[in-house]
Amino acid sequence: MIVLETDWSLMTPEISLAALALLVFTIDFMTGIHGKKPFIGRLAVLSLLVTAVLVILLNPGGGSIGDLFLVDPFARLFKLIILIGVAMVIMISMYYLDRNPEVYQGEYYSIMMFAALGAMLMVSSADLITLFIGLEILSISSYVLAGFKKHHRHSTEAALKYVILGGTASAFILYGMSFLYGLTGSTSLVEIGQAMPVLFQQYPALVGMSFLFMLVGFGFKISIVPFHMWAPDVYQGSPTPVTAFLTVVSKLAGFAIVIRIFTLAFGFEGIHGEWSFILAVMAAITMITGNFIALTQNNVKRLMAYSGIAQAGYLLVPFAVVLGDFSSTVIVFYSVAYLMMTLGAFAVITLVTEDSGMTDISSFAGLYYRSPYMAIAMTVFLVSLGGLPLTAGFIGKVNIFILAAAGDMLWLAIIMILTSVVSFYYYFGFIKQMFMTEPRPNDKELFVPGGLLTVVTVSLAVVLLLGIAPNLLLDIFNQYNWMPSFN
Amino acid sequence: MMANMLIWLVFLPLIGAILLFTIPKENVNVIRSLATIVSGMALILTVIIWGGFDRGVSGIQNGTTLPWFDLGFLQINFEIGIDGLSMPLLLLTTLVTTLSIFASFSIEKRVKEFYIWTLILLSGMLGVFVALDMFLFFLFFELTLVPMFFLIGIWGGKMRSYASFKFLLYTGIGSGIMFMTFLAIFTKGAEAMNFQGTSFSMIRLAEIFANPANPEVLSEGVKAALFLGLLVAFAIKLPVFPFHTWLPNAHVEAPTAVSMILAGILLKMGGYGLIRAGFGILPDQAAKFATLIAILGLINIIYGALLALVQTDLKALVAYSSISHMGIVLLGIASFTHSGMQGAVFQLVSHGFISALLFFMVGAMYERTKTRTISEMGGLSKSVPILAGFMLAAAMASIGLPGLSGFVSELLAFIGIFGASADLIPAAMTIGIIAGIGIILTAAYLLWAMQRTTFGPIKEKFMNLPDARPMEYVPMVGLLALSLILGVYPHILSDVINTTVIDIVSRIGG
Repeated sequence: MIVLETDWSLMTPEISLAALALLVFTIDFMTGIHGKKPFIGRLAVLSLLVTAVLVILLNPGGGSIGDLFLVDPFARLFKLIILIGVAMVIMISMYYLDRNPEVYQGEYYSIMMFAALGAMLMVSSADLITLFIGLEILSISSYVLAGFKKHHRHSTEAALKYVILGGTASAFILYGMSFLYGLTGSTSLVEIGQAMPVLFQQYPALVGMSFLFMLVGFGFKISIVPFHMWAPDVYQGSPTPVTAFLTVVSKLAGFAIVIRIFTLAFGFEGIHGEWSFILAVMAAITMITGNFIALTQNNVKRLMAYSGIAQAGYLLVPFAVVLGDFSSTVIVFYSVAYLMMTLGAFAVITLVTEDSGMTDISSFAGLYYRSPYMAIAMTVFLVSLGGLPLTAGFIGKVNIFILAAAGDMLWLAIIMILTSVVSFYYYFGFIKQMFMTEPRPNDKELFVPGGLLTVVTVSLAVVLLLGIAPNLLLDIFNQYNWMPSFN
Repeated sequence: MMANMLIWLVFLPLIGAILLFTIPKENVNVIRSLATIVSGMALILTVIIWGGFDRGVSGIQNGTTLPWFDLGFLQINFEIGIDGLSMPLLLLTTLVTTLSIFASFSIEKRVKEFYIWTLILLSGMLGVFVALDMFLFFLFFELTLVPMFFLIGIWGGKMRSYASFKFLLYTGIGSGIMFMTFLAIFTKGAEAMNFQGTSFSMIRLAEIFANPANPEVLSEGVKAALFLGLLVAFAIKLPVFPFHTWLPNAHVEAPTAVSMILAGILLKMGGYGLIRAGFGILPDQAAKFATLIAILGLINIIYGALLALVQTDLKALVAYSSISHMGIVLLGIASFTHSGMQGAVFQLVSHGFISALLFFMVGAMYERTKTRTISEMGGLSKSVPILAGFMLAAAMASIGLPGLSGFVSELLAFIGIFGASADLIPAAMTIGIIAGIGIILTAAYLLWAMQRTTFGPIKEKFMNLPDARPMEYVPMVGLLALSLILGVYPHILSDVINTTVIDIVSRIGG
């Protein structure tokens, strides 16, 4: 039996994170329900960072547990992105929870850690069942997190919408998976992938159905158009750090798994040609819709939701163009950039919106006078999201352009470039508020707590560094064989 | 040695900007001096590079190629270098920026940020003129957007917000189209070489397009589309009718020093890009579209002049005159003759000095009279004779008075268009004659404006205006002197650009 012979040490990071999450959970029980518990937040950050170190140090050669659990560069990189992302989200949350004492604090942190655990399982899984378990751990934790301000109507509404629609999406995914199982008798993605060329010849309709159902379900999870409708409402109602979590960690983990499934199960040459065009069209619609609707938004969180939808479109482009190491390099690079610039922006957004008590874009008025460092950092993040030079976002985006052009999808690159120009308008709308508008009369100088300062500084440093010296990361990425089980 | 100097030149202003960042914003004088010193150092560096420039070489000099990053399937290089085309524009950039920094000493609002943005802008502009890799060119091109957005948006006039967004979106779309075309050039270049050894290098791509291994990929239609893409992209920056509408807003709203940079340098990036990428990589298509370019140039000249004629705002008048003068550049390059091309480069440089001077004079007048409306001024030569004198001189230079640089460039461009081969531009003579009428219009609107502002009865409220301050003499005398030097001794410039221009023209065998 392989289960007993396998090398369980491959799962050490996940196991330790699970243990640490339970520890946090227990400590929370023992310290009473109410009250502020910043120490639990610190413990959670520490746990996540320890796990990240474990991911880096252990199993550099990779390996797999049967066909269930893969440790390859692709999984390890996404795990790092998830862990660092969640650690940063928790640092933002510590400020947020300090301002909102009615939220049960201990639970919040442990659920956040379970969400990270689910995401980690997901990106490592090579089997439909492991994958679904990971996905559901992440999703259910996210539903709970969205409704954490349970005495607020918007937060409850967000959670309810999210759980109903998210559940439906999960059902779609399961239904799509059931076709694959029915055709092959296996839940292993590798085996499904091996059987696929023959199956596709025999049952093109069934394979197509399975693909489409999964596309709908996963499309919801990563909020690509036309499955994006939930995002603005949920993002607006959720507590701001949870919004950051959903925009960054949930979405990137979702992307990782979409890439994993579609590469391993639907990755062979003949069928990629069939669906790459569908994906390309969806990427195009996503970029156009996200960017144009963002133009009309005045609420910061809704605006970031649409901006996130547009960014999901950008991330979809390399995947639609070509499968393999080149596109993985481009996707992972942009994911790192996206993580840093979006979380940096959310740190500033949390600070500003919590201080002013409103989420209108005018709460940013005159931020430059109130906290020059935050305004400058926010400008860098926005410029990076818009894709202008000397930032990681610029390099990441241009890499996607080049890949699309080299992969004979110049039209997609063109749509991406034009919609990026559209995005200047709303990103620079923020900048205008910060630098060219006077602060409101009773706004005082902003005090920036240490946690937020750390998040902003780290993101700022990474965004600028990768904008100037992208080779630091790309040189490492180029050596990787991202998914040894593919090809 | 020289190659390293180019790298230093590009990054020096950025380093200066970072240094400025560390200085407390109360130390206004330190900040101003540091900004002046940094741009002065950049100026000295360009003068040294100018001195070491080998006039006999037509290709790239002082080139450096450093590996930057690798995408796995494509290596992106940091490839820079200069030739006779970029050398004068480099010098123009540092000269005009340094002088505009002198002109901006009157700015009291948020001084530190102003100079940080100006220095970042300087880095971007210098980068555009030395970049030989399309990726790098695009990077620097985009790098100028953000500082300009801030410079117009914070220090501009009443409509600054509108103007800055309009600038951002128009030029953003321009650079977007530019990069799309670059991508298409890159992929077509790769196909033409059967995917063996392609790159983003403009020099390499020019070779590939001249001698493709697989010529069928580069059909006439493909090449025409590529050229039109570049034409539109750079037409927005230059600007060419009908893509010019951002320019009057941006110019009118921008503070004086920024208008000087905008008109003096930023527009030149459009002309430069068209010659560097369009004529460099696709010379045969440039020749094919010569008539179109000439007609666009003609429209620019006439349309810009007609609109300038009806402006009531002095600064808007100068802005439209810029559009008109950029038409001469198009006319010159379209002619595909030695003198026409030389005239175009001459015009880029000369207009850089003259328009900067004009904008400075308008700014100086506005500071005193608090109005830019032509009809409200009058008799200023009596109250501020020195300023009025310089403004008149600037107008004369702009009209093309012999002895000043405008004359030389217009003369060369017109010799070019009249001498253009009939195969390239069938109606060259007619175009030249109509364009000549445009030049007469230039004289009309400028002289009329001068007559209404500086002469005539003096208004009561303008009686006791202070005349030029010592600091104002620096940009005024400097820019006028530069125009005069080019006008009297054009050899100093033609010497540098000659070999490169001959090389460009010879590519279509003309």
